[in-house]
Amino acid sequence: MRKKVIFIVMITLVALLSTAQTRRDLKAMYHSQYSYEVSCLGVGQDGTKAIKVWGYGKNAEVAAYNAKRDAVAAMIFRGVSGGNGAAPTPAILSIDGYEKNAEFFDAFFKSGGMYLSFINLTTDGVPSGDDRVRMEKGYKVAICASVNYDGLRKYLEEKGIAKKLDAGF
Amino acid sequence: MKKLILIFLIIMVSLIAYSQAKKPTIMVVPSDNFCISKGYFSTVTINGAEQKIPNYKKAFQENDQIRLVITKMGAIMSDRSFPLKDLEQTLKSIDTEGTELSMMSSKSSGAAIKESPIDVLKRTAKADIIMDIDYSIKRQGPNQIISFNLRGLDAYTNKQVAAAAGVGSPSSFATADLLLEEAVLSQMDGFNGQLSKHFDDMFKNGREVVVVVRAWNGSEVDLETEFTANGEKESLAQHIENWMSTNTVSGRFSTVDATENVLKMDQVRIPMMYTYSSGREVAMDTKRFVTNLNKYLAAPPFNIVTKIYQRGLGEAWLIIGEK
Repeated sequence: MRKKVIFIVMITLVALLSTAQTRRDLKAMYHSQYSYEVSCLGVGQDGTKAIKVWGYGKNAEVAAYNAKRDAVAAMIFRGVSGGNGAAPTPAILSIDGYEKNAEFFDAFFKSGGMYLSFINLTTDGVPSGDDRVRMEKGYKVAICASVNYDGLRKYLEEKGIAKKLDAGF
Repeated sequence: MKKLILIFLIIMVSLIAYSQAKKPTIMVVPSDNFCISKGYFSTVTINGAEQKIPNYKKAFQENDQIRLVITKMGAIMSDRSFPLKDLEQTLKSIDTEGTELSMMSSKSSGAAIKESPIDVLKRTAKADIIMDIDYSIKRQGPNQIISFNLRGLDAYTNKQVAAAAGVGSPSSFATADLLLEEAVLSQMDGFNGQLSKHFDDMFKNGREVVVVVRAWNGSEVDLETEFTANGEKESLAQHIENWMSTNTVSGRFSTVDATENVLKMDQVRIPMMYTYSSGREVAMDTKRFVTNLNKYLAAPPFNIVTKIYQRGLGEAWLIIGEK
């Protein structure tokens, strides 16, 4: 009898620990600054990129706001894979670009920060249908955005964060 | 005191102005495949065999799409501080130069400009990086699809240093010009990303060039002649390889051919800058690099007279025995 109780307690503990681990993983992913879900919508106008980006938030408005920030961050740190007739867009910086310039980017991406000036156009308003997913705690929403990629690259070059193509010549 | 500061500043500015590596020139050139498939070629007979060679002048005169592509690329590259060298304009300039050279004579004796057959042969369009472009527009039912292929070729090594190729999305209403513009806009960021990596590699590991040492017919010295230098009795070829090992970046070069008459070395990584004994830094190129080898061979114990011949942008020959 005693052995059975110990066994059940052990099983319950393992199950609880594994659930907690999964939750921690999900939370970490949810708050990760490297988690960008971006897809290409096609070839943008001169110097711009047309993308669809997903954001997470407690409510749909916050999720849409986060999506805008992720749209700019993805251009800087990860690039966008090709699609809909458009070739892949390379990242402006290497993947560790944030760590190397943490102070600059913390100011750049603060609430209402400079990053917003590189979003030309978004499908503002709270998304609906397939672009709005209700999750256990919060929302995952997608917005379509036009990002001023060339403007963003030039700004980072001027600030000395990104290297110019002709640097050294 | 003020004068001293001013002199110091002027020296600093001049040193900074000199200490810039040579900026590569980039030129867009329609690919052979594009020119020949569209009928922009001339037929020449070489050694009895007929060969088709691209006629760029005809391509520019008859195809407005290729001009559009080059203009669009030029605008993007100018924006990245790399204005393109224009092939159409360069060809015109070469034609004019030829005419001017043939008509020019000196005021006092009426002498013509001295030009050897080699000089005439060398009057061609050159660039450090060639953007070799090719595209075709295909039909699929009511839709048009553009297939686009852009290759960045290093003229020094003939290696492909950047590439962008892909097929656009099918469209039933977009004109061919619009599809082309879309293809250029879509591909250029990726292409420039690869180009940037190539430049990073150049600054880290040196510029890649080709160096060939040859001997004049009748030269008393060949590459198997033995000399004693730095306490070692070795063949001239071995001494040259030792010098290359010391003077290339991380000693990187590959000997491709070595006979008593020819020593061919490729993947020679030359430094981007050269520092004179006075401390002045200047940009290094193949000719300057080979000039340094020439000075080494001119000094004892070798005392060899050599001629430097620059072949293309990234290849130089050192011909031993005579000037």
